[in-house]
Amino acid sequence: MHSTLFWLTPAAAVLALGYAWHFYARMKSAPEGSARMAEIASHVRTGAMAYLRQQYKVVGAFFLLLTLVFAWLAYGLGLQNRWVPFAFLTGGLFSGLAGFFGMKTATYAAARVAHAASKSLDLGLRLAFRSGAVMGLVVVGLALLDISLWFLVLNAFIDDPDPAHKLVVITTTMLTFGMGASLQALFARVGGGIFTKAADVGADLVGKVEAGIPEDDPRNPATIADNVGDNVGDVAGMGADLYESYVGSILATAALGAAAFAQAGDGASAYKAVIAPMVVAGLGTILSILGIYAVRVKQGASQRDLLNALSRGINLSSVLIAILSYFILRYLDLANAGGIWGAIVTGLVTGIVIGKATEYFTSQEYKPTKGIADHARTGPATVIISGLGVGMLSTVVPVSAVVIGTTLAYGFAAGSWAFTPDTMAMGLYGIGIAAVGMLSTLGLTLATDAYGPIADNAGGNAEMSGLGPEVRKRTDALDSLGNTTAATGKGFAIGSAALTALALLASYVEELKIAMLHNGQDTMVLASGEVVRTTLATLSQFMEYFQVHLMNPKVILGLFIGGMMSFLFCGLTINAVGRAAGRMVEEVRRQFREKPGILGGTDVPDYARCVAISTAGAQREMLLPSLLAVIVPIGVGLLFGVPGVFGLLGGGLATGFVLAVFMANSGGAWDNAKKFIEEGHHGGKGSAAHKAAVIGDTVGDPFKDTAGPSLNILIKLMSMVSIVTAGVNIAFTLF
Amino acid sequence: MQPFVYVSLMPEALVASNLGAEEFGAYLAVGSQKRARGQALFFKLDEKYAAERLEVLGQRALVDPNGGRGVRRSAYLSIYRVLEQIAPEALESLHLVTDEGRVLTLLPADYQPEPGPRFHLYQEFCPVTPRVVSTLEPRDFAARITDPREVVSLPALLFADLELARLADDPEATGIDDLPYPNLEHLRDCLRELREKPHKTTKTVIRYLQQDVLYRTIRRGFYLATAGGGFRHFPMPSREQLETTHYAWWRSALSSFGA
Repeated sequence: MHSTLFWLTPAAAVLALGYAWHFYARMKSAPEGSARMAEIASHVRTGAMAYLRQQYKVVGAFFLLLTLVFAWLAYGLGLQNRWVPFAFLTGGLFSGLAGFFGMKTATYAAARVAHAASKSLDLGLRLAFRSGAVMGLVVVGLALLDISLWFLVLNAFIDDPDPAHKLVVITTTMLTFGMGASLQALFARVGGGIFTKAADVGADLVGKVEAGIPEDDPRNPATIADNVGDNVGDVAGMGADLYESYVGSILATAALGAAAFAQAGDGASAYKAVIAPMVVAGLGTILSILGIYAVRVKQGASQRDLLNALSRGINLSSVLIAILSYFILRYLDLANAGGIWGAIVTGLVTGIVIGKATEYFTSQEYKPTKGIADHARTGPATVIISGLGVGMLSTVVPVSAVVIGTTLAYGFAAGSWAFTPDTMAMGLYGIGIAAVGMLSTLGLTLATDAYGPIADNAGGNAEMSGLGPEVRKRTDALDSLGNTTAATGKGFAIGSAALTALALLASYVEELKIAMLHNGQDTMVLASGEVVRTTLATLSQFMEYFQVHLMNPKVILGLFIGGMMSFLFCGLTINAVGRAAGRMVEEVRRQFREKPGILGGTDVPDYARCVAISTAGAQREMLLPSLLAVIVPIGVGLLFGVPGVFGLLGGGLATGFVLAVFMANSGGAWDNAKKFIEEGHHGGKGSAAHKAAVIGDTVGDPFKDTAGPSLNILIKLMSMVSIVTAGVNIAFTLF
Repeated sequence: MQPFVYVSLMPEALVASNLGAEEFGAYLAVGSQKRARGQALFFKLDEKYAAERLEVLGQRALVDPNGGRGVRRSAYLSIYRVLEQIAPEALESLHLVTDEGRVLTLLPADYQPEPGPRFHLYQEFCPVTPRVVSTLEPRDFAARITDPREVVSLPALLFADLELARLADDPEATGIDDLPYPNLEHLRDCLRELREKPHKTTKTVIRYLQQDVLYRTIRRGFYLATAGGGFRHFPMPSREQLETTHYAWWRSALSSFGA
């Protein structure tokens, strides 16, 4: 089987990487400003690379260990696909590479953006955005390259006379490299989230609260770590998170596509269904590049103009992908092309709705955030209460959007909303490809996200370098825009994680099937007594065979554990921030105490020490949550088998998704309520209301930057671990 | 080199120091080990008057490097009724210190009255610290508060006028929620009382301010009033000057909490 359209995927990958290089080179050729600006940027860059080096050492050790475990499972016990150890490694390697390039670019760009802003707002915006685009394009480029290469390699090496079945084996094998991406994402998000908040909270507690020195003051020893943390959390962490969702959604959809047609032995249709998500993703990547060029503003632009500039790029790409994907699917001659296209558009629209809802609940332009600011007049307690309320209410729209989107995608793809066994396979394919649709413009969306920390660092650089008020005004405007995009980006990341996890859940069944066949179990005896061939069994028959229903206590127990995991994960990561921040506070106090000249401006703080403390703290604190995310699905599988795992994944997905939205939106709303007051409302800076709002912001920081984003990874990683260890679930169960 | 002499206003004290105004201000705010924090306000005495003061008090030895025993960088010379004993013309400059030690120097300038009438909000700093509203413009207020024939009067007073926004013209004005003062409705009540009782020119809003003052609320500047008609004006720089020439101080001032 062969389609020339498949080559759009690797071509898009190469194009994305080429443009990433082009934007990187253009950024590097821009002047870095004064010597002081270059010096500050160098401190941040050194700190960021030191963090990455340390992180990759720890992650590398983890990967090595797990690779050996997978190798033993594959080659020793024969319970694992033999390609898994290699697929696992490449998934993590490419994700890590994307994070590395993104961080490198962001840390080189900050001073250059500040200098460009001294010329004009448009120059500053374009440089910042295109630097962020390097991250976006590297992520999608490497993801598509990895997918294309593995598809070609497995297509060449896997020998199976049945083309449809061969595709099932190829796609389920490819799913496993998603595990490598998941694990890398876990470390990047959890470790990065702890680093960034430990540095931020530590810098604020001692610098602003105790010593009374302003934000981004070079006298604060933690200020460089704070700036590094912006890159670590929102560039590398976000990049790894979305890399995982991107790869996971494409591979899960491909696996579901292969499975949908394998039963009928329709190899040609299976092939088209497999490459469709890859081709759509490739098209989206090309259109993202177009969207990036559309982002520009005129001189004297307002905040609204800046936001419109970004929206213009995103809207252009989204509209084009919505139109062109139809023709692509028609050209591919995919069965029910119109319905599949409907599912893709549903995914796109769902992503937009989630982004808009996040904007409504977190932006200072709207009532919820203004309401929190209003409550600041009556003290910090009411700030906390109203922020919690806003966060909880804000879950309604994203969850409803996912529910409606999933229902529509299912119905469009299946051609019916009957939700019967006959429609299940195509319906689930529709859900998967809706996730692909949502993520199709990831190159551009991630550019918007990565732009934020670059603008933030540019602002910090401008302050620390003592640039003039006009420049600071422009960098403040760019930073303010970045705060808006950060919140909507987080909402989008959570929404895409939920859809991807849903698609992965469905793919888990395919892995079970492969594992059973690998174990020599060619038939299944259902509860009704019917004997079914494993290769021909439907999804519903699998559920019947494994007794995956709510009356099975193993499913309920798994649900409880899955629900609990979300809270356990949040608790661990939030407390980790507290401990790591505490160590940072002690270090800053020590430096102030032992070098009194620092506050007087006559002595230079030891920035590197603070970076090292935050790095060590993040590495130490991320291990337990990360281990739990891997061990618990394996443990539940060993204890309660497949029904327990389904319960775990369902419980984890349901609570994780909602909790992640709540945390991200509460944190974003508190942050922007504080900023609203700082603009001069309710007494402005220094007032009692401001003090109360600062407390809300401090509480919300680990919510939105650590715990919330980490949940994205948890809900996907648990699915990935279950997929990879499906063979173990089949072979061993205690109860 | 002759030590400098400063009149600290929060609290009131006369201090001799070998430290220049910037260093002294930072020391006042954060201490020598940089573990303290607190806003500070002080005058620097003219060199001639400083020398006279040191001779009169006979405390030169305390801070004179050639004076021998017990030399310190700074030393208190007096902690009671200091301001009233200093002639206004002896005060060379006024220094505003943020709570993390940044110092802004204000020089005296001629006072130009504003066209009225309007309400004024005054924060008194030394020797007492109430916050009052008044219908009197600064020079008239200064004359009134230092007139010994008045029931309530002081021999000397340092005060500043604070921003009132639209309340300056109308106590019923809306859209004033952005003023950072505590209990805005009480402030309104005080202004209403002044409007309803024309014979009343001043009303106390806060009897004793226990928090730092937000420097950003200082409207035109500081005023020194002394009995016998003494009056000096120390104007604040314009917002533009604060954001450019004095940005480090301004940024520090904006980061403080207060009332």
